[in-house]
Amino acid sequence: MSVIFLLIGASTLVAVVFLTAFLWAVRSGQYEDDRSPAVRILGDRGASNERRTDPKNS
Amino acid sequence: MATATRTETSCYHCGDTCGADHVRADDKDFCCPGCRFVYELLDQSGLCDYYDLGDRPQVKAEVAADAPRPELFDLPEVRERLVEYSEGGITRVTFHIPQMHCSSCIWLLENLHRLEPAVLRSRVRFSDKELSITFREEQLALRGLVELLRKIGYGPQLTGEGARGRGTKRGVPRTLYIRLGVAGFCFGNIMLFSFPEYLGADVTSDGSLARGFQFLSLAFSLPVMLFASTDFFRSAWAGLRTRQVNIDQPIALGILALFLRSTFDVLLDIGPGYFDSLAGLVFFLLVGRWYQAYSYQALSFDRALEAFLPLVVLRRKGEGEEPVGVTDLAPGDRIVVRDQELVPVDAILREGEGHIDNSFITGEPMPVHKAPGDTVKAGGRQRGAAIELEVLRVFNDSHLKRLWEEHAGSLTGARPSMPRLIDTVARRFTVGVLLVALGAALYWWGRDAAQVWPVVTAVLIVACPCALALSMPFAYGHTMRLLGRRGLFLRDAEVVERLAHVDTVVFDKTGTLTARESYDLAFEGRPLDAREVMQVRSLARNSAHPLSAEVYRSLQGDLGRVSGVEEESGAGIRGDVEGVPVRLGSAAFCGAPSAHREPGVATVDVAIGGLHRGRFTLRKRVRAGMEKAVGGARGMAATHLLTGDATVDAEVAGLFPEGEVVTGCTPPQKAAFIRSKQGSGARVMMVGDGLNDAGALTQSDVGVTVSESSAALTPASDAIIEAGALGLLPEALRLGRRARRIVFASLGISLLYNVGGLSFAIAGKLTPLVAAILMPLSSVTVVAFVSLGVWLAARPLRSPDRN
Repeated sequence: MSVIFLLIGASTLVAVVFLTAFLWAVRSGQYEDDRSPAVRILGDRGASNERRTDPKNS
Repeated sequence: MATATRTETSCYHCGDTCGADHVRADDKDFCCPGCRFVYELLDQSGLCDYYDLGDRPQVKAEVAADAPRPELFDLPEVRERLVEYSEGGITRVTFHIPQMHCSSCIWLLENLHRLEPAVLRSRVRFSDKELSITFREEQLALRGLVELLRKIGYGPQLTGEGARGRGTKRGVPRTLYIRLGVAGFCFGNIMLFSFPEYLGADVTSDGSLARGFQFLSLAFSLPVMLFASTDFFRSAWAGLRTRQVNIDQPIALGILALFLRSTFDVLLDIGPGYFDSLAGLVFFLLVGRWYQAYSYQALSFDRALEAFLPLVVLRRKGEGEEPVGVTDLAPGDRIVVRDQELVPVDAILREGEGHIDNSFITGEPMPVHKAPGDTVKAGGRQRGAAIELEVLRVFNDSHLKRLWEEHAGSLTGARPSMPRLIDTVARRFTVGVLLVALGAALYWWGRDAAQVWPVVTAVLIVACPCALALSMPFAYGHTMRLLGRRGLFLRDAEVVERLAHVDTVVFDKTGTLTARESYDLAFEGRPLDAREVMQVRSLARNSAHPLSAEVYRSLQGDLGRVSGVEEESGAGIRGDVEGVPVRLGSAAFCGAPSAHREPGVATVDVAIGGLHRGRFTLRKRVRAGMEKAVGGARGMAATHLLTGDATVDAEVAGLFPEGEVVTGCTPPQKAAFIRSKQGSGARVMMVGDGLNDAGALTQSDVGVTVSESSAALTPASDAIIEAGALGLLPEALRLGRRARRIVFASLGISLLYNVGGLSFAIAGKLTPLVAAILMPLSSVTVVAFVSLGVWLAARPLRSPDRN
């Protein structure tokens, strides 16, 4: 049964990876502004939108 | 009445109702050429997604009146403030842009590079209303960048704090997130190790496995004790040192008891310990703290006076002008103040014609006319052509600074303290728990001394007021968020509690009951026909005087060709409209007998073709919804009115049939009035605006500042209410009272859980399983109860009809 401790060690290691990821996310300021990233993704519609053809100004 | 009905067309760009300057282009309506210009600019650059992002942006293409002029950004000291780094021609600056408020704003500001190729990258930090721009400075000067932002309606502010000198931030601190993460991580893992216990200890036939799990739990509880929960110990210790009981003391006691008892049990192999309850407790408490911090509004309630004033003014130097810091001004200096700029120091008008609007100080928007030689007090805003002034006193001696310091001085201590509910409860609770623990100890001492330690620790564990500590942040936090969504922003949760106690509401008149820039325009005399309206309107358009501007805005009709316009200072304006001489201005200027003047009513006389034609009267309008606001408040509290004006017209006085109406109040008298009410036991809410109310606002138990724009002065107050949301005030009072009752009910619930747990503990039967179930269950029940309760209590607030 003591093999279970090996498994626990492995799973804890995985959990620690996630904890580290969380700490990194907090440190990089991702929790400070939850509004602008949500909007940023809406604007990224790619190059097709880059310049609308406009008869009046071309 | 000459007020014509307006056609309700809203501007495609800013969403305002299209008025006098209505223009059409591209099959779209715009309220002014500025908005059309921005639309065309965006259209050419393919940025019209701006309009498709859901919310209406509603940022008018006009620059906020107090946005600093672009040339100021050429100054080295201003540049120094804003620039974060500048290397190899690439510069990064951070601007404060309070106008941004929606998805479209963020989107446009982050796509600046499409408008201006010199911009490399722009990033918004919405929570701070900040925009960081990286750009090539050799292609575009800082000033050019500011001009671009102004052009699209997002002129940056230049407040006292720069990009570097940012003060302490409100909101959720990073360490709280980290503590929360660590506590959650440990909680989850410890719970997994406790599962065998939950399912019955004999699931694991191997004894060493159970022991191993216990030691692992102990190991995982260490970060919780040493890192995640330190704030509670710190706060409890701080309370002990000042001999004050606070809610964190029983909590710290509970945490400590949990940890010591569990460690003891594990080391002596008595039982598995309560590590899961410990980690869970700390995690839930931190969630409560997080929610409390999260509910804070991203508004600054304490701004320094300097943040409202221009940093730099233009000083006359020989023939030219040089920029100089406000604090560096010396008596005798000549300064130039342009349209819409604040006069930063007390000064004497030397050249030009002053129309000084003192709304910043008094709330009274009607400009006062000043002729050369007159004194102009600091804080007045010039409306009209540029004026030149001679500095009379240095900044620190100015009238404005004194008013401000008076107000700041009143901050210290004058306000009667109101005991916080949570502290009162905590005091009784702590005493009760200690008594129960002592009683249990005495009981078991006589029977089975070995049971004393487990029973006493069990009592302390189960009595830990977790639910108690959670109910208030959630109940008051929800209340704050609900009110904030409708335009009433509270400083912190404590204000909700103060709100519940309010039994007297005092209103200021000017700027609070009456709107800043809203008049009822009426015409005395034979009504004007369409041609005459055209003539008056055409001429009024040429005047910088605010009253003429109001006449121009209120009338509807075509515009004619105007020639030979002359504005005579302090008298009026004359000119030929389609060949007919027209005059607008004072009675004497228009050749009419001067009439009896009512207080608070301004008049504009009209003469057409040399003959006096009639007189416009502009009466300041009581804000829409004020009857409802004052009437509703009257149902719940005594209502009084304070005003600096000498008289009050019947419409306003009629709103206060039972309360006192005090006229001619100076700022100290206003504060004294509040103090005398408090002296007779009243809990007072003051609703006001302007610096002259500042003393009264701080003296009152709940000071509410009415704000028409983010740039308006909001002296240290407990709450800020948007002018449009004033009708909400009675509802807010009601909600505050309900929230308090909900908290009381939730305290009852959490006490029930505690009593139930205590009966287990005293009997010596508090197994880890019971503790592990009881603790989260009580917290979840209480949080669910208060959330639902507040949500239901706020139903009237959520109904769509606001007025």
